[in-house]
Amino acid sequence: MIDLSSGASSPAGAIPAQRRAEETVLSLSGIRKEFPGVIALDDVHFNLRSGEVHAICGENGAGKSTLMKIISGVYQPTAGTIRYKGEEVRYASPRESEAAGIAIIHQELNLVPHLTVAENIFLSREPRRGPMVDRRKLKACAKACLDRLGVDIDPDAQVLRLSVAQRQMVEIAKALSLNAEVIIMDEPTSSLTEQEANLLFRVIRELRAKGVGIVYISHRLDEMAQIVDRVTILRDGRFVSSHDFAAITVNDIVARMVGRSLDEKFPERISVPTNEPILRVKGLTRAGVFSDVSFDLMRGEILGFAGLMGAGRTEVARSIFGAEPAEAGTIEFNGRELTIRSPQDAIAEGISYLSEDRKSQGLAIKMSVAANLMLANMSAVANRFGIINRGQHKDRASHYVDLLGIKTPSLDQTVSRLSGGNQQKIIIGKWLFRNSHLLFFDEPTRGIDVGAKYAIYKIMDELAAKGIGVVLISSELPEILGMTDRVAVFHAGRIAKILDTRATSQEEIMFYASGQDAQRKGMQQ
Amino acid sequence: MSETGKISSRMSDRQKDLVQKFAALGSLVALTAVFSLTSNAFFSIDNAMTIALQVTSIGLLGIGATCVIITGGIDLSVGSVLALSGVVAALAVKDYNFPIWLAMLAGILTGTICGLLNGIAVTRLKLPPFIATLGMMLIARGFALQITGARAVSGLGDAFGELGNGALFRIESIGDDGFPNVTFPGIPYPVILMVVIAIAVAYMLNRSVLGRHIYAVGSNADAARLSGVNVDRVTIFTYILSGTLAGLTGCVLMSRLVTGQPNEGVMYELDAIASAVIGGTSLIGGVGTISGTAIGAFVIGILRNGLNMNGVSAFIQQIIIGFVILGTVWIDQLRNRR
Repeated sequence: MIDLSSGASSPAGAIPAQRRAEETVLSLSGIRKEFPGVIALDDVHFNLRSGEVHAICGENGAGKSTLMKIISGVYQPTAGTIRYKGEEVRYASPRESEAAGIAIIHQELNLVPHLTVAENIFLSREPRRGPMVDRRKLKACAKACLDRLGVDIDPDAQVLRLSVAQRQMVEIAKALSLNAEVIIMDEPTSSLTEQEANLLFRVIRELRAKGVGIVYISHRLDEMAQIVDRVTILRDGRFVSSHDFAAITVNDIVARMVGRSLDEKFPERISVPTNEPILRVKGLTRAGVFSDVSFDLMRGEILGFAGLMGAGRTEVARSIFGAEPAEAGTIEFNGRELTIRSPQDAIAEGISYLSEDRKSQGLAIKMSVAANLMLANMSAVANRFGIINRGQHKDRASHYVDLLGIKTPSLDQTVSRLSGGNQQKIIIGKWLFRNSHLLFFDEPTRGIDVGAKYAIYKIMDELAAKGIGVVLISSELPEILGMTDRVAVFHAGRIAKILDTRATSQEEIMFYASGQDAQRKGMQQ
Repeated sequence: MSETGKISSRMSDRQKDLVQKFAALGSLVALTAVFSLTSNAFFSIDNAMTIALQVTSIGLLGIGATCVIITGGIDLSVGSVLALSGVVAALAVKDYNFPIWLAMLAGILTGTICGLLNGIAVTRLKLPPFIATLGMMLIARGFALQITGARAVSGLGDAFGELGNGALFRIESIGDDGFPNVTFPGIPYPVILMVVIAIAVAYMLNRSVLGRHIYAVGSNADAARLSGVNVDRVTIFTYILSGTLAGLTGCVLMSRLVTGQPNEGVMYELDAIASAVIGGTSLIGGVGTISGTAIGAFVIGILRNGLNMNGVSAFIQQIIIGFVILGTVWIDQLRNRR
């Protein structure tokens, strides 16, 4: 704690004076960026050495993305200097920075889905023979790039057929083909499974060994220990401090990010599980997706769905919600067997689903905060002719804005302008207004900053305490361990094991999620 | 440029909408002022009623187009559908001796059915709206030509022309010379029809659950579906509305001509889409208003009328209207760019 205050007051003092063997490849000092009415960055410093992985940490809105956009030339700084390989530079566009050897790999990957891997890597730089593309050379060069990364991807495969992890590798290969000396990765693991993330880390280590400087932006502090060398912390557009990663704890990083100490990442649970089942699922099956899924959810309980991506967690939730109904099996809800054929059926029964992909499935992004909050239950604020009562509409919407602490300038604000945490709260509000008795939270905290995560956890707990069924689907095991009472571990479309959260560990969950118990059983037989 | 960007980024979305509406309205006023100066006959009640009457077809079709476009769709078939509906009404009177009102109803229902088929093709058969309605455009036109033998259906009687040519509050007296003296030309029935329907549909979009669902489907169909909105039903409704209004437009137009014209309404769908787009409707879906479309329809109508009065050739008119469409959408893009 003493260290904390001294670090914040004298930022430069936080870095040990000793010089490393690596030289500074990119250095930013005194960076300021103003937008009309907003100062996005003020006096930010950042030094990247070649051959290091340098993480930038900060809550949403701390200025990480703006800083990256300044480095890559999307924005011009209002003040401050950027030095790259010892020379002062100012890039007018991402094209210029790319040509100089600074590559950025965006959260939303920038590949052309209908072209092949090789065509994407050399887009606009295709090797030619006369006016024609030299396809043989194109493929050979692409293969060489991919081999340097040690990944097995067919250069002739269409990008749209690749997984997110594979697409990321293609982006990295593209950066390498540009002889990038600095690679910026923005939330690279946010949609990867643990295995895929491990492959990415291996590739990052190799890049580091080759002397590439890597700027690494992520919300997932827990995984940073595996690869990060140094960390720079931003808060509210200001530089807080830089550290050797080994010299600081994750808790200290979080404390500096939020400007206060966060002893608890998870709220003290107030809900108490009972023995009274709300939901009983038996033998739920959808051919080729999941089979024979059975579990109970008790009143007051938070049940976790863990497992690798594609193991069937999301699919089971969506089938109970009626988005893609199951073909066999029974769903008993509050003692009554249900037949659910569409989301409308499920919603009418009080079952709701918060999708993992907020923007593409959760929100009507061009509509207002109020309209989104009311969307699932419009008839409650309309008369029998379907005419909306504007007074009621406003009252109910502002009730949920207050209840959930949604930060928005007004009820009429377009939701696309709000932060991820507030968007998630709007979706929760939408279902609360619908009087839901069972909520599936699918990756509810993905891409949300620490403070907002805590608020979402608290809401989940309060819902469970009120007797509303809560199922938490998550790839983040600490979240599963911190928030659930029991956890159903999925593997290959089946529930491999239902574990008592207090008596289990990350290792045990991973053991079942990776199918090792199935392998062992197979060997015994 | 950067100055306007700064200003707009400080404004809320609601203010921006207002500014855009006033901008469109402003250009309407400017057009009126310019034409009043350049032509003596332009600024008169007579001409105002003429313009209003001319705008009715674009306006009615534009209202339907707006609803379809808000859901993220498009309806290219309305020009053909109005021809088919009109000739169905005309043939019902001529060959089957239907009473006028029943014949017109049959015409309108023809449009409804075409719209329903469009909606089914888009939702159940999952055809892209462009393709589905392009097919209907050819089919409906083909039917209209086939059942009439490509000939105009005439000899329908004066009563058939009442809807298109009649007017409310017309004040006239028979002068000494035996010719009627018109004190006030009256408000043509088609104009009244357009105003009533525009208000009803605007109310539906703004204040009803159905309207909210239409915007939700266009803004994000997946999110709407997962929120329990019956996306298919909402989508089909918009095509039915568009088809029905096309049917009504057909009956009004044929009534005005007192003839069933199977070749009527060619390219009207593009005028309808243009008026929606000038009025700020986004072809990506989720955004659009009836008031905007009404302004868009009047911009096109006044341009045509005013340019006519100034003796500008029909070809030059097309060129100018083309530029107006490009210009307004460009301004809209600038406004939305951040």
